This record gives sequence, structure tokens and C-alpha cells, in this order.
Amino acid sequence: MNIINTILLKLVLLPGVLYKKMGVNLAHLKAILTAKLIMDDRRPNGFQQMQQKRRKNPVRFATVSTMFVAVLIGSFFLLSFKFGDNYITHFSLYFSFYISFLASLLISDFTSVLIDIRDNYIILPKPVSGQTFVLSRLLHILIHVCKITLPMAVPAIVYLSIKLGWVAVAAYLPMIIMATLFTIFLINAIYILILKLTTPQKFQNIISYIQIVFAIFFYAAYQLMPRLMNNVRVAHYDISSSTAWFFVPSYWFSAGWQQLYHFAASAQLSVFLALSFIIPMASLWVVIKYFAPAFNQKLSLITGSTGEAATASIAGKPQKTNPSSYSEWLANIFTKRGAERMGFLFTWKMMLRSREFKMKVYPAIGYMIVIIVLMNLNMKNASFSDVAAQNAQGKTTVLLILYFSNLIIISALAQVTLSEKFKAAWVFFVAPVKTPGNLISGAVKACIAQFYFPVAVATLIVLTALGGARVVPNVLFGVANCLLITAVSAYISANKLPFSAPPNNKAGSGGFLRVISVMVIGTTVGALQYFLYDITAVIVILTLLSGGAAWFVFDGISNFTWIKVFSRYEDS
Amino acid sequence: MGNPIISIKNLWKSYGSKAVLKGIDLDIYPGQVIGYIGPNGAGKSTTVKILCGLISDYEGQVFVKGLNLKDNALAVKSTIGYIPELAELYDVLTPVEFLTLMAELYNLDKHIALERMAKMLAAFGLQANINDRMDTFSKGMKQKVLITSGLLHNPDIIILDEPLSGLDANSVIIIKELISKLAKEGKTIFYCSHMMDVVEKVSDRIVLINEGTVIANGSFEELQQQQGNESLEKIFAHLTAKESLSDAADQLMSAFD
Repeated sequence: MNIINTILLKLVLLPGVLYKKMGVNLAHLKAILTAKLIMDDRRPNGFQQMQQKRRKNPVRFATVSTMFVAVLIGSFFLLSFKFGDNYITHFSLYFSFYISFLASLLISDFTSVLIDIRDNYIILPKPVSGQTFVLSRLLHILIHVCKITLPMAVPAIVYLSIKLGWVAVAAYLPMIIMATLFTIFLINAIYILILKLTTPQKFQNIISYIQIVFAIFFYAAYQLMPRLMNNVRVAHYDISSSTAWFFVPSYWFSAGWQQLYHFAASAQLSVFLALSFIIPMASLWVVIKYFAPAFNQKLSLITGSTGEAATASIAGKPQKTNPSSYSEWLANIFTKRGAERMGFLFTWKMMLRSREFKMKVYPAIGYMIVIIVLMNLNMKNASFSDVAAQNAQGKTTVLLILYFSNLIIISALAQVTLSEKFKAAWVFFVAPVKTPGNLISGAVKACIAQFYFPVAVATLIVLTALGGARVVPNVLFGVANCLLITAVSAYISANKLPFSAPPNNKAGSGGFLRVISVMVIGTTVGALQYFLYDITAVIVILTLLSGGAAWFVFDGISNFTWIKVFSRYEDS
Repeated sequence: MGNPIISIKNLWKSYGSKAVLKGIDLDIYPGQVIGYIGPNGAGKSTTVKILCGLISDYEGQVFVKGLNLKDNALAVKSTIGYIPELAELYDVLTPVEFLTLMAELYNLDKHIALERMAKMLAAFGLQANINDRMDTFSKGMKQKVLITSGLLHNPDIIILDEPLSGLDANSVIIIKELISKLAKEGKTIFYCSHMMDVVEKVSDRIVLINEGTVIANGSFEELQQQQGNESLEKIFAHLTAKESLSDAADQLMSAFD
């Protein structure tokens, strides 16, 4: 165990007497926590995985880099001191950021840390009391959280000590601790609620979707904040002017800070100060005392025999004969009979059903949509009327939408070859498939059909509605070019059989490069199209040429031989 | 025979509206090796989970060493060594780290535990690997660590769920020998498996369940007397298969026509 873990473990075990009173076995608690912390050291947690997606740090530096990133995020929270007129407003925003960021982090880490299904077989059959087990999970989360929140609080401490002095810091510390506790139990309660309302099978899917929404929300907030800062109304907002805020927990912590820092004979502020202490403590007590036994029960069901029961009942139902005629319809249009069509349908279904795939691709698509929307918002004076008038501004908007929508597909293409269950791809290798390229082109086409096709159709409809029939040739040309760019990038890089390689190997590392090159090529082609925009005959001819070239490249992919495909697996 | 060490009385368990166990009655005596067999979905693993305290919302009564499982879950758990079917363990830990955790949870003295685990792992031929992370281990090596973890605290009752999966032929012999030696020491073994030939050889008593009820209960010889002088595999098929199995094979073959 590293020194950080050792110190934190000692700290959380300090209230041992209190734990004992709750019926916790201290020796068990320490043993479980020690093992869990050793395990944390040896595998990346959710937060570190998140970073890993963006930049490829080796796992052993993860703790240091996690803390560094946490300091950066904590600095970002300081932006809230730019909003509003007084400290109570600043801090309400600060705690809102803090609580929601921590909650999003915890939701992802809870699935990997708290819902370690192996605990059901390893710890639960042992003579460990429910209270000990639940407390070990909570303290584990707490230690885990401390490794992130301590560095995250440093910027605010520095800021406050310079700006207001040490009294402000002293008032801040208990509040940030209470806010942290509150967040932990908030998430715990949400988990218990979801477990109560739904089947364990659906549970992880719901959590995944919440994570995806959070990730996109933060990305949008991150992008929007600088824009809002220049808004005069926002800059002078006073949070106490609206009583609705009284129900928001971040306001309690903010009011609590205010009262601790600068005591006022205000009954209202004193109530909120009391709330900021009582609520986290009470929720801690409720979770351990009442929810713990039921929670364990439900947890053991996640892998329990309900799975068997559920499959049995499904088997009893009449089978749906034609589950996705839409995908089959698309497959008939876009693919050749045989291996390519099979590759298409297989990839289509896997992309819709694999949680792992969705967790990686949907947030990336969300980011791209945020970027595309903001990009268009950022263009000064851009408006729908420009698109309708087809002036220079309108043309640029059309081209931006066309070429940036291509980015949506990149992460899907990068992920489609990767899977935790990559070993199941043996079926492709033992089956007598003559040219594996067919499977690959089928998979690439499935990505395009599932992610790009709806966007392209929507773009065509919206732009035609705004700009009239005259934009159609240009839109089609843009779509053809995007297909060509995608096809070429797939020809060069995407390349293994669908869902056949382990995740986090070198295959994913070219992601950033791919985004940049697609953007650069897209911008270049878009700029060329700008000059040819009004010469419809040329656009039509070029559309045919570009479409033909795309078809040609797809054909090239479908002709990949086994020798070429095997070579892709050897270097990883 | 004395008092039963495990006594199950009218045990019912349902998942939603689906009853998995429908009134199991079973008395198990110290030193017995029970072969607990049944087709998939018969309720074997549900019984095991109840005995191990993983499921507590069952109906009926379960007594272990005279203690009601519902009221004394922790005391019961300490007398049981459970070796689960899947090689579920924290594989980023080393065997020593993992087993130290197990020993701690069973309130075992650390020095005794270290000595025992060293001896047991050495007996399995793992002495060179005791400080390697288990994520590099083969399925059989993991299974050996798992077996060690179930036996470390010297439990009176040992529940084995398909313990031979992934083990090579030599290790299988070791485990079979071990089971009979443990039984001679007075340990009670609860052995769940689909491998009829092994169950036939190691068990003193065979309990066959189907659709949540016990349909046969006795020594292999007793079963043979009731069902005709046949192998356990054949007896199992007679009692649990709804249709003739050779018909099923015929149907499989006819799919080619």
C-alpha cells in the first residue's frame, strides 16, 4: 500500500469506538479496507479511466496525475467566485459544482467499486456482519473520494486565504467535508432507490445512462461558462433573492459558511448552518442503520438466481420473429449478401446492446454535438435567415454543419473493433469466411448507418426546409465527401474484425489524431466546396465522383484478405 | 447417528412468483459426504446460497449445529467453508494477500493463517507463486487458491460447488483424496456437481433434487436397489429426464435430414 492510502486508512479508522457501537467488527473492517485499497492501487478506477481515454498515461502514475487533474478541476470551480454579488451566491454555485461533479464521479466509481459483484462470493459467505460490510464500502468510497476531494479543495483554500484570510478557510473546511458526506449518501440513496424500483438486470444500464448524461452535461457546462461570465445579469445575481434556493443543499452549505465566517444574528442563516451539519450526519446514520441489510440483499441478487428465472420466463414468451426490420432494411440497401450483411447486422445489434460500447461512444457523441452546437452559436450574427438567403454567412453555416457532423462517427468507428469479450470473436476466425474484409466493411457500414445516416437525413431535411431545394446538391455533395473521408479513414485505421480486440490497447490511442485529421481534411474539403458552392453542375458531377470514390474505397475494405487482417492483430 | 449437523425443514424459496425450492427436508450428519445433484435449475445453487447465508428471505427452517440460520447467521457462517463454482476472487491480489483477508474475516490468528496457507499452497504446488498477482494464474491455479480459502479456517462443514472445474487430472485425485480424509476427520462435506462418476465415488449419501423437491435420498447402493443396478448417470436420467434422452439425440441427428 502506498503512503497516501496508509494515512487515509488510519484516519478513517479513528472513530473506532463509534463504529463498534454500530455493531461493526473493527478487525474485519480493517482487513477488507486494506485489501480493497491494495486492489485500487493496482487497477485504474473510473476517474483514472476517464483521463486515460483522453491521454494515455501509464496506470502507475495514475494517483499523482489524478491528484493533479483534481487540482485543475478545483481551480475551475473558482470561476463561481466570478458570478453574483456576494459570497453566499459564490459559494452556492461553488458547492453546486462541487456536489454535482463529485456525484458524477461517484456514480461511475460506485459501479466499479461499490458494486464489485465478486464481493457476493468472497465476502458475504464469510461471518461478516452487514454493518461491517456496508461501512467498509462507505469508508472505501470515502478514502477514494478523499484522494480526489483533498486536492480539489486546495485551490479554494489558497484563494480564500489570500482573499479573506484564515477564518474563511476555517469556515470552509467543515462545510466542504459535510458537502462531501452529503454527496456520498445522496448517491448511496439514489442507488438504493434505483435498486428498489427496478430489476438488478436493468440497474447497471440505468446507472450507465445517468453517467452518460452527467458527462455530457459537464462538458456543456465547461463550454458554456466562459460565455455566461460576460452576461451582466448573471454577474450581479443575488441568490438570497429567491426562496427556491432554500431547498437546494448547496445553498445550505453556502449559508453555513457565511454564518461560520461572519456570524450574524440571523435565525434563517443559523437554521441553514444547522441543516448543513444535521442532514449529512442523519443520512449517514439512516443508510447504515436501515438501508444496509436490504441493500446487501439486493446486491446479492444482482448476480443471483434471478438471472436464471428471468431467462426462463423469456424463453416462455413467443419469440419475436422480426426484431429489427429497420436494420435489415438498411442492410439490404447498403450491403452485399453474405458475410458483409451478416457483419452489418451483427455490429448493429452489438452497438445497441453492449453497455461497454455505449458508455464509450455516447458521451463522445454528446461532446461532439455540444461542440457543433457551440461552434454555430459562436459565429457572430449567424442566423436561420442567412441559411435561407444563402449568403456567405449562410453557406459557411451549411458547410460547418455538414462537415462537423462527420465527427459523430469517429469514436464509434474507433470503438467498434474493441470489446471486453473480444475472445468471442473466435467464431469469425474458425468460420470459413473467404474474405474477412466483408465483415469489416459490414461493420463500418453499420456504424455509418446507425450514427451518421440519421444525422445526414436530418441535416438534409432541416437545411432543405431552411434554404429551399437549391441547397440539396450541396448537402448531397457534403454527405458524399463525408462518406469518402470516413471510408478512407476506416481503410487506413479501422481494420480489425468487429468487437475482436481487447480495449485499451494501442488501437484506441489514435483517437485524437483521427479527430484532428478528419477535422483538417473536412475543413479543407469544405473550403473548396465553398468556392464551388453556386456552380451546381460542377457540384453534381463532383458528388457523383465523390460517391463513386467512396464506393470504391468500401469495396477495397471488403477485399481485405486474411493476411492483411491477421497482420493487424500481430502488432498489438 | 446422533444429532444432524445440518437440518433443513420444509424449505421454500421463490423468486417473484416462481418457486425454486418447494419444501426441501434434509438432515445431514457429521462426517457425511453428501452428493447434492440435480439438473440445471433444480434449485441446487439456491440451497447452497441459503446455507451460506447469501439468501435470507426463505421460508421454512434451517438449523446448522442446532443454531437457527436466520438468527445466528454469523455463527453459522464461521463453521462453513464455501468454495464457489466460478473462480471468483480478487485477482489483482496475490494468494497471500487474498488468503490473509479471508483469514481475517474468519477471525483466524495471523501467524497460524500464514503458516497454514504456506503449507496448503505448497501442497498444491503453488509455493513459487504465493506472491504473484493472481490475474496471471490459470483457471486451475485460481481454483486451488479458492479451495485453500475455503479450508483455511478448518471449518466443520465444507460446501463445494463444482470444485473440480479447471483442475488437471492429478489435482482431481488430490481433491478426491482430500474429501475422503476430511470426512474421516468428522467434517461434513456438501458436494454439488454435475459429474456423476465423481459424485458416485466420493459420496456417502446422494441427494437428488428436481424442480425444487428431493426425489431421491440415500447411499449409492440404496439408490441402486431402488432403481435397478445401474450407474448414477443412468439413475439420474431415469429420475429427472421427462423424455427419453436417446430420443433427444435422435432428434438432434434428424435435424440434418
